[in-house]
Amino acid sequence: MIAYAGYLAIFIALGAAISVTVQGIRYSRTGDASKLRLPVSVLLGATITIFVVLEIGILSGDFSIAYIANNTSSTTPVLFLFAGAWAALEGSIVLWGLVLAGFIWLVWRQVGDEDGLGVLALAVMGAVAVFWFGLMASAANPFAVCTQAGSIGCVDSSWWPFVETAFPVEGRGPNPLLQNNFMMAVHPPLLYIGYVGFTVPFGFAVAALIRKDFGRTWLDRTHRWSLIAWVFLSAGILIGAWWSYEVLGWGGYWAWDPVENASFLPWLTATAFIHSAIVQRRRGMLQSWNFVLVIATFSLTILGTFLTRSGVIASVHAFSQSVIGPVLLGLLAVIVIGSLGLFVWRSADIAQAARLDSLSSREGYILANNLLLSVFAFTVLFGTMYPLLVEAASGDEVAVGRPFFDKASIPIALLLLLILGIGSVAPWRVASPKILWQRLRLATVVSLIAGALTVVSGIDSLSVVVTIVLTTFVVTAIVVRFVTVVHSRPESVFSAVPKVLRNEPGYWGGQIAHIGIALMALAIATTGGLATRDLIALDQGETAIVAGYCVRYVEPVSRVEPNRTVSGVRVEVMNESCTEVIDTLEPRLNTYPGSAQAVGTPAVSTGLVNDVYLAIAGGSAERIELNVFVFPLQWLLWAGGLIVVFGGVFAMIPKPSRQHRTSNQSGSTEPAAEADASDE
Amino acid sequence: MSDKVKNMIFGAIGALALIVIVVGLAEGGAPVPTDAERVNALASSIKCPFCNGESLSESQSSVAAEYRVIIAQRVADGATDDEVIDEFAANFGDSYILDTSTSSWSLALWIVPILAIVGGVVVVAWMYSSGRQRGKVGQ
Repeated sequence: MIAYAGYLAIFIALGAAISVTVQGIRYSRTGDASKLRLPVSVLLGATITIFVVLEIGILSGDFSIAYIANNTSSTTPVLFLFAGAWAALEGSIVLWGLVLAGFIWLVWRQVGDEDGLGVLALAVMGAVAVFWFGLMASAANPFAVCTQAGSIGCVDSSWWPFVETAFPVEGRGPNPLLQNNFMMAVHPPLLYIGYVGFTVPFGFAVAALIRKDFGRTWLDRTHRWSLIAWVFLSAGILIGAWWSYEVLGWGGYWAWDPVENASFLPWLTATAFIHSAIVQRRRGMLQSWNFVLVIATFSLTILGTFLTRSGVIASVHAFSQSVIGPVLLGLLAVIVIGSLGLFVWRSADIAQAARLDSLSSREGYILANNLLLSVFAFTVLFGTMYPLLVEAASGDEVAVGRPFFDKASIPIALLLLLILGIGSVAPWRVASPKILWQRLRLATVVSLIAGALTVVSGIDSLSVVVTIVLTTFVVTAIVVRFVTVVHSRPESVFSAVPKVLRNEPGYWGGQIAHIGIALMALAIATTGGLATRDLIALDQGETAIVAGYCVRYVEPVSRVEPNRTVSGVRVEVMNESCTEVIDTLEPRLNTYPGSAQAVGTPAVSTGLVNDVYLAIAGGSAERIELNVFVFPLQWLLWAGGLIVVFGGVFAMIPKPSRQHRTSNQSGSTEPAAEADASDE
Repeated sequence: MSDKVKNMIFGAIGALALIVIVVGLAEGGAPVPTDAERVNALASSIKCPFCNGESLSESQSSVAAEYRVIIAQRVADGATDDEVIDEFAANFGDSYILDTSTSSWSLALWIVPILAIVGGVVVVAWMYSSGRQRGKVGQ
């Protein structure tokens, strides 16, 4: 019953997606968006139905559906049951389709009458949807019925629903790692909203290319969509990093795993795009480049999907190997060849860029930022694909991992920080050395003093010192700029602050995000360069000193929870003289039914200066072996990430109309350049 | 205080701080990693067999834990980083060494991104100069 309803909804959604595409193309000439009302609404309704039906099947434990039998079980807690709808391959395609249908519906609501660009953009997005729902209807069908039950789970399934159905008595349950922390329920949807969100700027970019509408219209209309996608992608990556740190127990948050890289790549190009779009909207430059960046970003999201679901690259993130790999590769090829071909075909018609007055200007620094971000993305992509390329070319097997990515990214990231600090406060058109020095002298001096104090305090790691200097430089430069602009207004400070922020939410949202990036860079440097790692073995009651902390093994603990067996140790973290307990931690091993290997779960005591991170490394209840890691300023990574996300959200606040802004500034005796931070 | 005096004060303090940084870093020399740090760096440079592409430092499998103990033992015995890497390369094969330093393919891995940045700089410089040319013609 569930299977039939699900099938029906999938085919209705597929039909609606085809209709959105066909009708969109047909009515793009007149721009009559009302003609799309029916297919867009049906697409959304059918997709919601698919999702709801799948959830009902999961929550009611309908193991006659292979996906449900193989990815949930009767003992799985409700939260992880609910998240089971997107925890494995076929379900992830359903969530993807749901997000895409939601975006199509939201965009359609904003498309006006006689809006040829908007209608054609919907057609492009519809075409992307045709692909996803086609996949759902064939190779990745979430409602495939079980034809042969195993002792647990389903062994064989049928795409065709009208067959004799088998009913496994118990499901296999989710992958143990996925039910170890609630964040696993949140991380994929955030990433998917980010990934799928870039379909909107992609749709508008392709529509603009087809219609030879190369001006800033498509950028103006996708500005907020790009930010939304970027914010969700940032949040998704951040939560993934946090999960890796809090749950996996290896003491890190980023492993340069191919799939992590695959989420970082579109983030890099999208970040470049958000900046270069400002240059085109402001100065009319970089028209061609913006098309390239949007096409690259969307292509990279598909590449990420392909890498996760095809089995070409070994990764802890990879879903089980499946037949959809070649299909996704085909889609990737169509998108890259099709859209880049369209771009090349049209590129001769795209207007020549306006002149760059000076390399030292806001646009000049954004250009440098784009160059660095693109090279960063290229380097990560090249390093990720290198083993495949080498193997294809010569048959040799090579591996590329942390040593390469760390070494390659540190210089690029440090240069980016420097440019970020200067570019954030540089005026448009020409930033003379005089005005730059005036705006940056305090930041320069403060950052050098911070560096000197760091060195004097005994820290001799070059990369840490340079990062501290650059991050202090960025934060101080932005704060100084803000204070200057606030003081240039006639009102009191308290009434000036909200007015300044409200006048230019885009600029100040960006600066908030920049401060977040600087804090994250600082945490990456300190946790990477100043961490202490030790492996200790303790008898019950024994203590050991690690990096100024006294660690005492109190007692073993074990308990049985509904979905897992927990065995761990209680450990007290104390000050160096072992007199005062700072925190009591419980690193443990969780064993899930149906999985032989226990999942280690670390315990972390977060402090203002240090994180003390404990993970069981081995031993026995009598004599436990513990990994003890001390990471300085780790919390700044998460705080910085949240600030980045907040900055992105802040930047979406609509800018007040020009008239309103003028009245806001009336009475100002200062020159406009000072009253307006972004130097219009 | 005039702007000139301010600039001089800023310049002097900045220069002084810079000297402290440079001298301090030069005096300290390169920090010597502890054994535990070396073990961690080495474990990050070697791919764990049967671990979905994870390195020995990331993987929580018992296999990886055993290899970490072996690395720690070799470091405690006084083996250099290169010796440990060579031993693992000899046992596992070059394809398990993540920094590719033992492979003849490592050169291309580094050269291509460097070419990309050089190419990017050339394109920007060309755009800038051709923009200026057009500007001059326009005037």
